[in-house]
Amino acid sequence: MLQEVQSAVGISGADIVLAAKYVAAGLCMGIGAIGPAIGEGMAASHALDGMARQPEMRSALMSTMVLGQAITETTGIYSLLIAIVLLFVV
Amino acid sequence: MSFEWGTIVKTINWTLVFNLVNFAILLLLLRWLLFKPALRYLDKRREAIHEHMEAARRSEEQAAELQRERERALTAARDEIRKMIDESRLEGERILAEAKQAARHEAARVAEDALQEIEQQRETALAELREAYAGVAVMGAARVLDREINQDDHQRFLDELLSELDEEMLRTRTP
Amino acid sequence: MFEQLAPLLDHLGEKRMAILHLGGYSIRFDVEAILMSWIAMAVLVVLALVLRRGFRQRVDEKPTRTQAMLDSLIGFIEGQLLGNFSSQSLARQMFPFIATLFLYVLVCNWMSVIPYLSSPTQDLNVTLGLALMVYVVSQVLAVRSKGGRKYLKGFLEPMAFLLPITLVGEISKPLSHAFRLFGNVLAGTILVTVVMVKFAPVLVPSGLNLVFGLGFGAIQAFVFAILAVAYIDVAVG
Repeated sequence: MLQEVQSAVGISGADIVLAAKYVAAGLCMGIGAIGPAIGEGMAASHALDGMARQPEMRSALMSTMVLGQAITETTGIYSLLIAIVLLFVV
Repeated sequence: MSFEWGTIVKTINWTLVFNLVNFAILLLLLRWLLFKPALRYLDKRREAIHEHMEAARRSEEQAAELQRERERALTAARDEIRKMIDESRLEGERILAEAKQAARHEAARVAEDALQEIEQQRETALAELREAYAGVAVMGAARVLDREINQDDHQRFLDELLSELDEEMLRTRTP
Repeated sequence: MFEQLAPLLDHLGEKRMAILHLGGYSIRFDVEAILMSWIAMAVLVVLALVLRRGFRQRVDEKPTRTQAMLDSLIGFIEGQLLGNFSSQSLARQMFPFIATLFLYVLVCNWMSVIPYLSSPTQDLNVTLGLALMVYVVSQVLAVRSKGGRKYLKGFLEPMAFLLPITLVGEISKPLSHAFRLFGNVLAGTILVTVVMVKFAPVLVPSGLNLVFGLGFGAIQAFVFAILAVAYIDVAVG
C-alpha cells in the first residue's frame, strides 16, 4: 500500500530520509539552543549585577563570565554538531 | 598521491598529526623569536621599575632622615640661642648693676668734692672777709683815735682784733 | 548570479582529501587545512619578527609604537595567565605554550574572513589535535607534579565506585574542548556561506563575517586558551 502511494506521488524512501534529516536537524538545533540560551543569559545577568555592584571587578567578572558561557555553550555545540552530522554525514 | 572527496566530520585523518607538527614547529619558533625575549624583557623592565621604586623609597628615607637631622639641629640651635639670650640678659643686668653702683659712687664722690670745695670757698671767703673787717676796723679805729701809732702797735692790734673777730665769727656763723 | 555561488553550498559539507601512498599505507590528509595552517604560521612568525624590534630598545626610554603593541599583547596574555593559574611559576612555565595556542587559534579563526582563505579550525582534525595535545600536556604535568600514585588515586575521588563517571568526564574534556571551537567556527562559516549564496551576496555577509569571523573568532580563541589553562591548572593543582 505504502509502496503504491509512494510510486503514485513520486516519493522514494530516500526522499523521506532526506526530509526526516532536515526536520531532525532543525528540531535538534532549535531545542538544543534553548538550554544554553537560558544558561548564558543567566550568567550574563548575574555578571552584570556584579559589575553594577562592583565596577572595579569588571575585567575579572568579564573573563570569568565568558569562560562560564563557553562551558554552558557546550551542550548547544553538541546539538549543533548533531545537526551538522545529520545534514552532511548521515 | 591522489585526491578524493571526503565529508567534514566523518574522517579523523592525518591532518590531526600534521597540524600538531605544525603547531610544535610554531611553538618552538615563537618561543625562540618572541616569548623568551619577551619574558626576559618584561622581567628586566619589572626589575628596573622595582629598582626605581626602591631608589625612590631610599631617597625618601634619606630625605626624612635629613629632615629629622635638620629639626634636631634647629632645636639645638634654638636651645643655644635661648641660653645665649639668658646669659646675655644676666650679663646685662650685672653690667647695669655695676654701672649703677659706679654711678652712685661717682655721684657720692662728686658731692663730697663739691662740699669740700664749698667748704674751702667759704674758708677763703671768711678769710677775706676777716681781712676786710680788720682793715675797716683799723681805719675806723685810726679815725676815732685820730692818732698815730707805730708799726708794731699796729700789727699787734690787728692780730688781737683778728683773733677776737675769729672767735666771734666762729661763734656766730658756724652752724 | 546566485547560481555562480551555488557550488560553494554543494561542497560545504565536503572536503577534498589528499591520499599519500606510502608503502602499503595510505595517508589521508586535508591539503587545504595544512596549507591554511602554514599561512597562519607564516603570519605569526612575521608578527613575531616585527614585534621583536620592540626589544631593541632600552628599558627606560620612551616606548615606540612596536613596543607599545608588544607590551599590550604580551601584557594581556601574561595578565590572563597570572590571573587564571593558581601558581605563578606554572604560569611562567606555560606562558609560551598558552600564548602560542591563543595566537595560533586566533589567527586561524580570523582567516575565514579573508576571501579564498578558510579557517583551519573548521576542520575537526585540527581542533581535536590541539585539544588532545592540551589534555596530554595537562596529564603529563599532573603526573610530574603529583607523582604516579597520587595521580592514579585522583581518579578514585571522591568515591571509588564513581570511577566510570570520572572517566567519562575526563574523556569529555578534550572532546568538548575540540568540538566547541570546531562547532563555533564551522557554524559561522556555514551561516555566512548560506546567507551569501541564498540570501544576499553583498554587504550582509560582511557584517556577519565581522560578528562571526572576528568577534566570535576572538572570543573562541580566548575561551580555547583559557580552558586549556583551566584544565592544566585543575590537573596540576
